[in-house]
Amino acid sequence: MIEKPIIDELCRIAGRENVLTAKEELTAYSYDATNLWRHLPDAVVLPHTSEEVARILRLASEKRIPLTPRGGGTNVSGGSIPVRGGIVLVTTRMNRIIEVNRTNLSATVEPGVVLQDFQAALAREGLFFPPDPQSFAGCTMGGVVAENSGGPSCLKYGVTKQYVLGLEVVTADGRILKLGGVTPKNRTGYELMMLFVGSEGTLGVITKINLRVLPAPKASQTIVAVFGDVATAGETVTDIIASSILPAKVEFVDNWTFDKFRGLLPDSSLKRAQGILLIQVDGLPETVAAEAKEVVRLCQRRASEVRVAQDKAEADRYWQARKAHFSDISSRAPTIVNEDVCVPREHIAEFIRLSQERARYYDVPLSFAGHVGDGNFHPVVLTDSRNREHYTRAVKCVEEIIDIALSLGGVLSGEHGIGLEKQRFLKKAMDPAAIELMKKIKDVLDPHHILNPGKIWED
Amino acid sequence: MAREPFPQLEKFRADLERCTKCGFCMSSCPIYQEERLESSVARGKIMLIRELLAGNLSLSNGMADKLNRCTLCRTCAQNCPAQTEVPAVITAARADKVAKKGLSFPYSFIFRWLLPRRRLFGRTVRLFSWLERLLFPRASGTLRHLPFFLTALGKGRHIPQVAPEFLRESVPEVSPPPQGVPVRYTVGYFSGCMTDFVFPGLGKKIISFLNRQGVTVILPESQGCCGAPVFLGAGDLATGRRLADANARAFEGLDYVITDCATCASAMKDYPRFLADTKEREESYRSFAMKIRDITEFLVDIMKLPPEAFRASPEFHGKTVTWHEPCHLGRYLGVKEQPRRILKALKDIKYVEMPEADRCCGMAGTFSIHFYELSRKIAAKKVAAITATGADIVVTGCPGCQVQLADSLALQGSNTRVMHIMELLE
Repeated sequence: MIEKPIIDELCRIAGRENVLTAKEELTAYSYDATNLWRHLPDAVVLPHTSEEVARILRLASEKRIPLTPRGGGTNVSGGSIPVRGGIVLVTTRMNRIIEVNRTNLSATVEPGVVLQDFQAALAREGLFFPPDPQSFAGCTMGGVVAENSGGPSCLKYGVTKQYVLGLEVVTADGRILKLGGVTPKNRTGYELMMLFVGSEGTLGVITKINLRVLPAPKASQTIVAVFGDVATAGETVTDIIASSILPAKVEFVDNWTFDKFRGLLPDSSLKRAQGILLIQVDGLPETVAAEAKEVVRLCQRRASEVRVAQDKAEADRYWQARKAHFSDISSRAPTIVNEDVCVPREHIAEFIRLSQERARYYDVPLSFAGHVGDGNFHPVVLTDSRNREHYTRAVKCVEEIIDIALSLGGVLSGEHGIGLEKQRFLKKAMDPAAIELMKKIKDVLDPHHILNPGKIWED
Repeated sequence: MAREPFPQLEKFRADLERCTKCGFCMSSCPIYQEERLESSVARGKIMLIRELLAGNLSLSNGMADKLNRCTLCRTCAQNCPAQTEVPAVITAARADKVAKKGLSFPYSFIFRWLLPRRRLFGRTVRLFSWLERLLFPRASGTLRHLPFFLTALGKGRHIPQVAPEFLRESVPEVSPPPQGVPVRYTVGYFSGCMTDFVFPGLGKKIISFLNRQGVTVILPESQGCCGAPVFLGAGDLATGRRLADANARAFEGLDYVITDCATCASAMKDYPRFLADTKEREESYRSFAMKIRDITEFLVDIMKLPPEAFRASPEFHGKTVTWHEPCHLGRYLGVKEQPRRILKALKDIKYVEMPEADRCCGMAGTFSIHFYELSRKIAAKKVAAITATGADIVVTGCPGCQVQLADSLALQGSNTRVMHIMELLE
């Protein structure tokens, strides 16, 4: 519980209409897009300016109140859940797009801008920002940076950290730091800004973001290929990457979510199939045509059906079906355990084969989907947390899948972050000395550990 | 806390459980765009309702306020990859709330007592329109600054005047085609309250257009309010059933029931889903729902009128016209192409599509009474979209939207006229 004088102080700082304490309002900030984690905050505050954020953090530091920063709350790591109660600081009302600069190829935004709105503003100027997490319709730019978000387009274009030019960050003691700038090159001192990219709200609150943006590709082409088994789809990905073509996206879904493709692809070919690859090449029209042709040729080696979308509307339908995957799979079982491993691309097919073998051993349903082009998988084990025996097997299976990814030279999380979901695996996925160093950095920037406590590593 | 029963919500438990909190509903929710609160948006409302069912939240005033803050525009459901029918869940929650807590005055009086009594309702409207003429000076044109009869509804809105003569008073129950025009169809005409009391000219236009196309139009005396504000807006299912029964009976024996109001049409199509409590009602509501067609849908899909059949009235020649797609028409009834086909067929006007033509205007019936400021903010975005087209006239397919658009455009000093699409036609 937070005492009334502190609530009053929050109201003085942010305005009464921006401080929430009613039970139903608190409930709405007790969850994110994960399904097992819940915790009520004691108060929610929605500041409008960096100065308000600074005063709120100073207050929280002085009174040692846990404070969890939150944007859209669409993360799938448990990262924005206030597990120690206290204050949830929501940035959704700091939502101005301050500048889109075509000459600089840069944009400046406040943290509460929704990614989809940002993309729309860029599109009007013929520009784009490549990271495209599936939560684009709700996630906010502060969260995109704090989680170092990825998405399908990162195969060709890289993840969020490759686009951050400058940040304004408020530290736990209420200092407003300006880091980096708007130039594409900047070699001034340590790359302190990068500390906050992917920091999951544990080091500071991001209050302004300068981003590098790109001219939007002039053309794109979508190719769909249907495969008789999952591993040959994986081999095809390896072939495409090895052929020196770099598609913007290479996405994979398995037959757990073929429902979404019914009506788009013939039932006869879906019936026998195990996996679908969705590939998008983009760039200049001539390049796109040539690359699409080559991708089709490579797919035809192993695929039972290969289609090139005839127009944007057809392409959009395929991508809509892909985007619906997570919800679709989530609705197939009372509990899903969703992982986010990333493996070197040369081992894609092997990773799939070994994981499927473990799922058979533990006798649990396993679905694969992901940004297979960059080796980033979202294996999903379908279970029911109320059935202890089944759930235990599911969790064991997931642990072994993580082990497989790590043994192949992969990583624990490609794009979701650690948060709460993956903190128990951190020790085996990260050098212990590096974990120690992270903790020391945390001590320097947030000595009282008020910022998003209980996340990333286990205490 | 002991778990309370929520019979209506139980019907939609599958929808309630389907939501995965992915956030696809967020950026396009008109309420979320204004409030930027988790409790504004479908995902948050679903979570609050789950907690209500689990007994962790109660039906407090705060909770009721959250449930009411929704225009039921259905954009969330359209974007939902899990196909969660959020508006149905919210409607059910409102119904359970009314069953437990009752309706507050004046809604209890208007919904329970006045709306089911069409004649008396009409007389009340008339009485208030006399009062309004006594008390307020006549303003220019058809718009006036007046407090409408539904007490709280006014709040300084620019709303249309109540018509001196209602539709049902000025046309016969059966209107056959003129002499020499063979009868192709006989249809029932459900004229909603707005057309009946406020826009009778629209009703007459529709009847005469249909007559000239060889359609006999029947306007049953015994039809009443569609019930949208009663069972969808306020969650009063019992009164909703009385209205639904009357309407289903009024149109018995007819193959088609046409409407000029997307809200009425979709509400009546929702009778089986929300109001069917017996086998008989289920059957009667289902067969009634199957007959209902929006006027544009009837002209384009059923009558298959060729483009030449549509001509703009001479007074609108040379005008630029844009189309506002009502939520109830596009996202509920799936009528998207038909009105646009008609507009494209009109040679003497210039039709321009506005940005986000299907975005909610923020009216949503009683929503705009409860949350007038919020409703105005949502409307301001619609006004900007209309203004961006440079249109002289914005047409739509729902008198409710018409009221909202006219009010919002007037507030912003715009000269753009608001009309029903059928009013454009010769």
